[in-house]
Amino acid sequence: MPQLTYLEAIRQGIWEEMEREPAVFCLGEDIGIYGGAFKVTDGFIDRFGPERVVDTPIAESAIVGAAFGASLTGMRPVAEFQFMDFIGCAFNQIVNMVAKAHYRWGAPAPLVIRGPSGGNVHGGPFHSQNPEMWFVHAPGLKVVCPASAYDAKGLMKAAIRDDNPVIFFEHKYLYRRIKEDVPAEDYIVPLGKARVAREGRDLSVITYAAMVHTALEAAEVLSQEGIELEVLDLRTIAPLDREAIAHTVRKTNKVIVLHEHSRTGGIAGEIASLINEDAFDDLDSPIVRITAQDSPVPFSPPQEEYFLPKASDVVREARRLKAY
Amino acid sequence: MAKKKQKQIITKPSSRRPDANPTTANQRTYTIPDYRLEKPSFTIRQVRKADGVRYEVSGDFNGTVPPIRESRYLNRQQHLEIYRWMLLNRNMETALENLYKQGKVVGGVYFGLGQEACSCASAYALKKEDWLGPMIRNQGSTLVRGFSPRDIMMQYMAKAGSPTRGRDASSHFGDIQDRNVVSPISTLGDLIPVLAGVALGARLQGRNIAVMTYIGDGGQSTGVTYEGLNFAAVQNLGLVLFVENNLWAYSTPADMQFRVKDLAERAIAYGIPGVIVDGTDACQVYDAAHEACERARRGEGPTLIEAKMMRMKGHAIHDAAEYVPKPLFEYWRKRDSIARFENYLLNVKKWISPTENRELIAGVDQQLEADREFAVASPMPEPESAAGGVYCENGCHQIKPKYATPRVKARPAARVKYTEAAVHLK
Repeated sequence: MPQLTYLEAIRQGIWEEMEREPAVFCLGEDIGIYGGAFKVTDGFIDRFGPERVVDTPIAESAIVGAAFGASLTGMRPVAEFQFMDFIGCAFNQIVNMVAKAHYRWGAPAPLVIRGPSGGNVHGGPFHSQNPEMWFVHAPGLKVVCPASAYDAKGLMKAAIRDDNPVIFFEHKYLYRRIKEDVPAEDYIVPLGKARVAREGRDLSVITYAAMVHTALEAAEVLSQEGIELEVLDLRTIAPLDREAIAHTVRKTNKVIVLHEHSRTGGIAGEIASLINEDAFDDLDSPIVRITAQDSPVPFSPPQEEYFLPKASDVVREARRLKAY
Repeated sequence: MAKKKQKQIITKPSSRRPDANPTTANQRTYTIPDYRLEKPSFTIRQVRKADGVRYEVSGDFNGTVPPIRESRYLNRQQHLEIYRWMLLNRNMETALENLYKQGKVVGGVYFGLGQEACSCASAYALKKEDWLGPMIRNQGSTLVRGFSPRDIMMQYMAKAGSPTRGRDASSHFGDIQDRNVVSPISTLGDLIPVLAGVALGARLQGRNIAVMTYIGDGGQSTGVTYEGLNFAAVQNLGLVLFVENNLWAYSTPADMQFRVKDLAERAIAYGIPGVIVDGTDACQVYDAAHEACERARRGEGPTLIEAKMMRMKGHAIHDAAEYVPKPLFEYWRKRDSIARFENYLLNVKKWISPTENRELIAGVDQQLEADREFAVASPMPEPESAAGGVYCENGCHQIKPKYATPRVKARPAARVKYTEAAVHLK
């Protein structure tokens, strides 16, 4: 089985879908001859031609609007955002035009908006954000945040085949850091299904994207102390896999929700509410949130390290919960 | 206070760029064809009066009402069809106003009064395979595109049988199957990139189609207007953008939205053709739309058409438009699009007799009455019908390319190199 980085897996996912389905095409800034700021679409224009790999002006609303328009004719556009931080420029198109289309007037919008998000790369306030919650609160969208190369490819293929608008947050910290076996044959990872990234009996860490690796790192440390963490990787945060969340709570009875985006209005609040509704009686301790602080992402490495949740935070809170 | 050392800037003659003094050879000239037979020019300013700040208009109000410009493309029958659409447009809105007064409308009512020629004659230039993205005042365009007055009445009354099944109001409906209409949203300019994208999708399927949408003197101030039109221009997509300059954006006059004399001048900045028409003259509107659509179908890219007219009511039914200086209403009432077109057909062309005209109007009113009765009698949606439909699921739509399977040319697989990536972010 070939070993692929997270980035190569995403690239292969889009490539294979373009080979398989003539209705798939890409548009975005610098994605053609240059191959994209992170080279996700490198070589695409040579293979698929400038018709299907459309370099656009720096105009995010136009990119999303045009993707939506093309999807109305039965195309399946994949729109790249150079950084997901810039998605604010297209906010109205996404939440008012695209997300509401099917509910309002029965127009499906089978499009993918994808791009790099996340911190720990010293990108500063405008190249490090995790703006996924802006879209979780907009009914009609699906929000995908893969943590592994296998998932990145399978989720990308599922997102392109989905008949709904999908916002696909790639974590740029993972792009070239993780490498794993990825099947060469066609497969998808269904949207809306979480996975257990590590089995454990003592307490559950519910998380996604780069923080899955933070949780796994903490789990290694805690395992030496006899504390076994279960790590639930949500993979898709809209819709949430409610069953998988309740299932892990019933198993371990103690929960940490870990996310990289800031605290207030974060997905942890929603997950805590779901647990209250579905598995309150199974809880043996309060639900703990480990998140970034409520501030923009600071630039300087010591500040960013302070800002981001760390494995040591998970270890500390897990010890506390174990003793609760 | 320390004395600041003044830096002296010396420009040596040798450092001057050779083209510092433009000659006529490198001066650019652009033309904006203006098809109007009358070119009214008014200035509207905010002026402090004894009772507060008011809008004051200055300009020449004495011009004679212009005739209808002879169409280069329309035959007799087509003139009569456009005339009927305009009547249906206006009388439907009168019916909506009455329904509102009877308390049967949920929310407000928006009117295209004074703009019927622009809506109906523009949409009339589209072919079946083309697309339309109407704005709030283009209810006439949606009629031409195949929606019925009862559809629009039911939208306003929030009925279960409305095109959005009660979920949205006014002109906020569409149809991607048969009528090729994209539903507008309330924010302005957002349809422009969407319609450009429709043309892009069709082109990938091997078809150059015309895609038409509208923007106003107010809406053109938005950033997405620029983004969308610029995208269409660089991609050479068949967008026909009607800029409906109706002088008022809610209560703000056009003079406070932009500085250029004519909004058609904007076309120069996008590198696309721009033309000006009298928005109250159906023939001018149609001819410009027809030529723009033909350009689009030939793959020659977008066209910007500025249609000048005046919004003859307030922003919506709640707005009595007290802020509009009275002489403007009087001036534009004399230039009414339907009265002038009727006179043209009856008296200038003699393409319709007074009896036929009466019959045509009666037919329109009969249709509207039947639709009104149907819409009023139709049920409100069940409360539970608010649920579901947020996502496209369980095969509710069969998604496939509308025109043809996109042609895919096989090319050899290419090199992959990641060296230039933004790897400084590591």
